[in-house]
Amino acid sequence: MKIEKARPYVVKNLKYALNPSSIAVVGASRYPTKVGNKVIYELVKWGYKGKIYPVNPRADEVLGFKAYHTLRDIKDPVDLVFVAVPAHLVRSIVEDAVSIKAKMMVIATSAFKEIGRGELQNDITEYCRKNELPLIGPNLVGMGSPYQHFNCGFIPYLPVPGPVAMISQSGANLLAALGTSQMSHFGMSFFVGLGNKADVDFSEFIEYANEDPNTKCLAIYIEGLDSPEAFVDSCRKVSKPIVVIKVGRSKIGVKAAFAHTASENPNSDAYYDKIIKDAGAIRATTWQEFLDVSLALGNQPALNGDNIVMITNGGGAGLLSCDHFERLGLSLHELKEISPMLEQRIRAYMPMFGSPLNPVDISGTASVIQYKGAFQQAFRDPNVHGVLGAICPTAVTDVLGTAKAAIEVYDSCKELGKPFIMICQGGEECREAIMLLRDHGIPAYPTAEQAVNAMVALYRYGTRKK
Amino acid sequence: MEKQKQYRIGTEEQQAYLRDYNFPPKGYGFLEPGVVTPDSNDFVAFQVAKSFYQVYPEVFNLAYIEKKTGIKKAEIKKRLSKMYRDHEIMLVYNPAVSIMGWGLYYWIVKLKKTATKEEREELTKWFQDNDQICTGYMMEEGGDFDYFNGNHMRNLDNLIAGVLDKFRNKDYIEYVHLCPIRRCVRESHVNQFDSRKDYRRYCWSEEQKKNVLKFQKKMDKDDFAIIDAINNTKSIGDMFDYDVLAKLSGLDAAEMKQNLCRVVDKEKSMLPMIYFNYRAIGLKMHFFAVTLFQNTPTFRAEQILDELCEEEAFENIFDIGDAHHNYVLSAYEDITDIDAIRKKILSYGEVTEVLEATSPRQFRRWTCRLDEQNGYWEECVFTDDVLLDRTTEKEGK
Repeated sequence: MKIEKARPYVVKNLKYALNPSSIAVVGASRYPTKVGNKVIYELVKWGYKGKIYPVNPRADEVLGFKAYHTLRDIKDPVDLVFVAVPAHLVRSIVEDAVSIKAKMMVIATSAFKEIGRGELQNDITEYCRKNELPLIGPNLVGMGSPYQHFNCGFIPYLPVPGPVAMISQSGANLLAALGTSQMSHFGMSFFVGLGNKADVDFSEFIEYANEDPNTKCLAIYIEGLDSPEAFVDSCRKVSKPIVVIKVGRSKIGVKAAFAHTASENPNSDAYYDKIIKDAGAIRATTWQEFLDVSLALGNQPALNGDNIVMITNGGGAGLLSCDHFERLGLSLHELKEISPMLEQRIRAYMPMFGSPLNPVDISGTASVIQYKGAFQQAFRDPNVHGVLGAICPTAVTDVLGTAKAAIEVYDSCKELGKPFIMICQGGEECREAIMLLRDHGIPAYPTAEQAVNAMVALYRYGTRKK
Repeated sequence: MEKQKQYRIGTEEQQAYLRDYNFPPKGYGFLEPGVVTPDSNDFVAFQVAKSFYQVYPEVFNLAYIEKKTGIKKAEIKKRLSKMYRDHEIMLVYNPAVSIMGWGLYYWIVKLKKTATKEEREELTKWFQDNDQICTGYMMEEGGDFDYFNGNHMRNLDNLIAGVLDKFRNKDYIEYVHLCPIRRCVRESHVNQFDSRKDYRRYCWSEEQKKNVLKFQKKMDKDDFAIIDAINNTKSIGDMFDYDVLAKLSGLDAAEMKQNLCRVVDKEKSMLPMIYFNYRAIGLKMHFFAVTLFQNTPTFRAEQILDELCEEEAFENIFDIGDAHHNYVLSAYEDITDIDAIRKKILSYGEVTEVLEATSPRQFRRWTCRLDEQNGYWEECVFTDDVLLDRTTEKEGK
């Protein structure tokens, strides 16, 4: 339901959604195959230290915890009520949650507005608003934070800790991102599925993320915006980069978005383009780009100029990159234009057949020492705004050694505030190198285009910041 | 242009063969016209009641029960709460298996005389815990058979490979007789979809009503009267208080009632009822597996069963097709004249054999677990085999 602006009482209470001292799980089943059981199982498995109150009118015990027949039977304070029961039970549970003065309500249940029960959803929302009980959902997968060891929902794993707050209307895509996080070391500060977002809106999580010390970048997946003004208003208050992917552009996608999360998209895509622009956010068009760009913005500072130096041992990676830079409207400059002195200095780290143009091709025979020297020279040159490195695994390339050298240089040059992005295109050793680099805060990608997208996003963020 | 027929159940367009005995339409499928799924909006009134009656007994129509029994509303609430707490009752529903797109298959298990106590216990535990078995009865040792279990399956091969093959070749098994249900006539005292008359009638014989009060002290006359009033409402519209359901759910009372009446009273797709848990008050169920001569014509077998249905002492009446046995009937041993029942069954010249056994314990009641001793009272586990092929499952895989 629409809001004019992010509501302070909601923003204040969101901490109970992501770091509660106590949780009541309504619909906590005794059966391990049922979702209500899984919620408690995952809370315990991932190390949640707060109190857990299973609620089930048929059970006296769930997973070793005393079960309560209703919320009203719990006499201790409850921060968060997580609801995993059918839609027709929710109205009564919301009343119980208000009566026990719960601070936050999360409704995972589906079958509300998205199947035509808009009246019921609105009725519950209005009741929650009247009683200042923030409601997240319904129709969502859950939320969590690796920093709090908090995994609350139908979620098989926590992401690795990192800088990106993932705020998603889609549960499936959120789960995909969590899987990517595990597999590809995409670090997150917290994640939340908003589902139908009947009450708590994007804008409120955006303002919460701005205050969250672990969050450096906000990644937002949108199917529909009920409150565009509030969205723009909150984004403008945020001092951190925001990446948005807005789906439901296609004719059939408009219908699919409604069936999924009851999202209404009466306006053209250009309308949303303008909103995202007004909000100062960066729009990604594909899921991969969304993740790649978020990773870069979460880990790296803004690119404050267009003097980007690319250092590679493969001409092909260089060519793919400079073409893609140009496609995106950010052509590379020749090294001599950026810094004639740098062109001279960098020659010391390449064979005579290398090319100091830009991309700087230090050739397929490049050693770890040559890479390290070239990176250092580029970083230290005052005219250079950012560095893009690329490793192609020739028979003589020490891929992991080069990655370690890149990390050393990056760590020693951090205070310069220049972004550093790496490309490692190749086999298993490159995958390992990417993970190692990411673990040290350097966004690394398996293709040139992904890395260029990331660098361009850093540039756009820098421009918008100005 | 002539309106295309929908062959919807409960209408004039219903298939002719469904009118008498509701034999399954040829080819099972969820798309049988008129089929209502349990999570459908049309059935939501029951689901609201099912989810709340444990804490809010006022989901039942207290005014109606008061009128029928003369017991005050406050007392009715108190008694319903007590009966639930003591696990004497459970609100359940039966889907009309013959039109829901399932086959309902039971099976009788006979152990060898040499079966050890441990082997018996092992099998009992396996039946109790197996979610592929939605219902079942354990018999006392020494009867003509040892278990009578069942499940609704869409695929008979799945039952054979996924359930029966997992145990029937063990050394201590004498035999397993498959009992596909041709007509589900009475179950848990309530006349079902395939009853020729008095659909939804809740049956107890006068003898049983009298004797059960002498047999035990946990439940009294008023308790039984309350259950009787709830189960014997002429229309399902009288079973629940739809205003209470609306208050609890936020849904529309009139719409919920209208839909439930259509689904239950008219289309007979679903049958909500209060299940009485005989084990809770120490009753035992006496089972008769009745076999007719194989040359008995089907219509005659059905006529005999319809005559037996007049006997209200039967708690269960299953009509079986394509099997060793023709009927399985049951009545409470401690409060019924079992000899008289046996005599009545044997009075038919078509009967060739009657097997008998006594059950002190029911495992599950159509997907709802009854084993409070394991902490699973009313844990409902939907045991569907839709879209699965269990014939490829190998033991230990």
